Amino acid sequence: MSSEPRPRRPGPILAAPVPPPPEAPLPPVRTRERRPFLLDFFPLESSDQTRLSRFFDRLKEGRVSTTRCPKDGLLHWPPRTACPQCHSEELEWVDLPEVGHVYAFSAVLGGAPLGMEDEVPFAVGLVDLDGAPLRLFGRIEGRPWTELQIGSAVRLESFDIGDGRYFYRFRATDP
Amino acid sequence: MNVRDVALVGGTTTKFGVRPSTWAELAQEVGARLFREMPELRAEDVDSLFLGAAEPERFAFQSHVAPLAAEQMGLRPHRIIQRTELACASGQSAIRSAYAAIAAGLSDVAVAVGVEKMNLPSMAEANTSMACVMDRAWDGPHGATAPPFFAMVAQRHQLEYGTTEDQFAAVSEKNHRFANSNPEAQFHEKTFSREKLLRLPIVAPPLRLGDCSSMTDGAAAVVLVAADRAKKYTDTPAWIRGTGQYSDFHNLAHAGSLTEWTGLKHAAREAFGRAGVGPEAIDFAEVHDCFTVSEIIEYEMFGWCPPGQGGAFVADGQADIGGKVVVNPRGGLLGCGHPLGATGIAQAVEVYRQFARKAPPARTVPDPEWALVHNLSGSANVHSVMIYQGGSAA
Repeated sequence: MSSEPRPRRPGPILAAPVPPPPEAPLPPVRTRERRPFLLDFFPLESSDQTRLSRFFDRLKEGRVSTTRCPKDGLLHWPPRTACPQCHSEELEWVDLPEVGHVYAFSAVLGGAPLGMEDEVPFAVGLVDLDGAPLRLFGRIEGRPWTELQIGSAVRLESFDIGDGRYFYRFRATDP
Repeated sequence: MNVRDVALVGGTTTKFGVRPSTWAELAQEVGARLFREMPELRAEDVDSLFLGAAEPERFAFQSHVAPLAAEQMGLRPHRIIQRTELACASGQSAIRSAYAAIAAGLSDVAVAVGVEKMNLPSMAEANTSMACVMDRAWDGPHGATAPPFFAMVAQRHQLEYGTTEDQFAAVSEKNHRFANSNPEAQFHEKTFSREKLLRLPIVAPPLRLGDCSSMTDGAAAVVLVAADRAKKYTDTPAWIRGTGQYSDFHNLAHAGSLTEWTGLKHAAREAFGRAGVGPEAIDFAEVHDCFTVSEIIEYEMFGWCPPGQGGAFVADGQADIGGKVVVNPRGGLLGCGHPLGATGIAQAVEVYRQFARKAPPARTVPDPEWALVHNLSGSANVHSVMIYQGGSAA
């Protein structure tokens, strides 16, 4: 178990590739900030701030996606603008599997960063996605940490953080 | 070009803890102590300053910190002045940089100093700063900080090897006991039995408060010199014999196995190879016990015990005086506190003091010749290792 390979290589089963984005630049969007940027963990998501704004656009459609390199087949996480293996900048977007299982988890019972104090206690975990060679870290909602187990099934979902931006998290789905 | 031998010829630390002092005042304090304890050291002889500081921009709202530290310490470096930042390993990075500069002939007398001010009026603001060590954009919004990450490491170690909470507590009990004989330690006056540790509140399951190092203010400084100058400062230098470092990943998605730290193995192999010794030669080690489970995995990765046996190793006293290798006689990060940039320097100060027979009896390592210092940083994604040999000045 301790010598298992890192889950970085793409497997055969993924959702159908999303068509490449059109060449035309997206219209600039004004970013609305909840708190000063240096005290806010949620990224600046708009196309005037990041070349990965499509990731966040897709989150608004309920799709959690990432980039893949058509040249060497490497599936990335987090999504990238250049492949770390062949350094190609011609990447494609693919949707991630919606279901995964908990590899490890813990919970934050105190000492949370600014803006998260009211959410304590909350569970976090590393989740192996079904059918994709990725192990993602994220918040796990829907179940107190005391009822989670290694191997618990979770669903990957997007959510509105409340100020126009979207992010992703896991939701426990076991009965 | 010939590589020159480098000696660590002295050093000191401030009191670690929740200090009513600013960042700059901590730098002044460590400078004053250094010159008081090393009367042979003259400010004008110090040609270079390397400052380990992890997050002064966040904790002290201050950039351009190396010249600020130089001014606080009364130094005017005239060859190299720079800051090293590697989160929890920022201090060791400063020593490694000073070592490289002296070995290459670019410096003859260098000070490596580490300063960190972490306790702010708002703990949530301090916690926000600590969370920036992780991948801020992708792991940060989920609430990723060190405790939940190392808690997952502990959970996997328990699952894969049956490691117990009592074995975690054995690490904390040992390091706090050593800290009782270190007046500079944050928890110098507090005693922790295993029973008491197992009753402390859970911070991030399965880790309890006593399994976690704390937010600490403090500073530490060491003096490194070229071999031909060592005798001027001490008869008992610590010679740098090997060093290694490895950066494995950053985003938590790429952590792979949480219980096998391959980056540490790579860094250790490099350091041991340069020193020409193996793990069995090490008499004492200052390793990065940011959490109890970290020290347990470090026994395994350095090769002092087989994989999965770290819990039994410490519970059996093998990491204590009289055991296979004395681990963290200074009191560790658990007992001393963990001012990020100062920790790696303070560990090196302990190496010097042990070789110089200046440590109090309760934490004195018998007849040490070889010592190892290790820091991990972030989510154990980077490992830094240095190997020292005691001996007389050239």
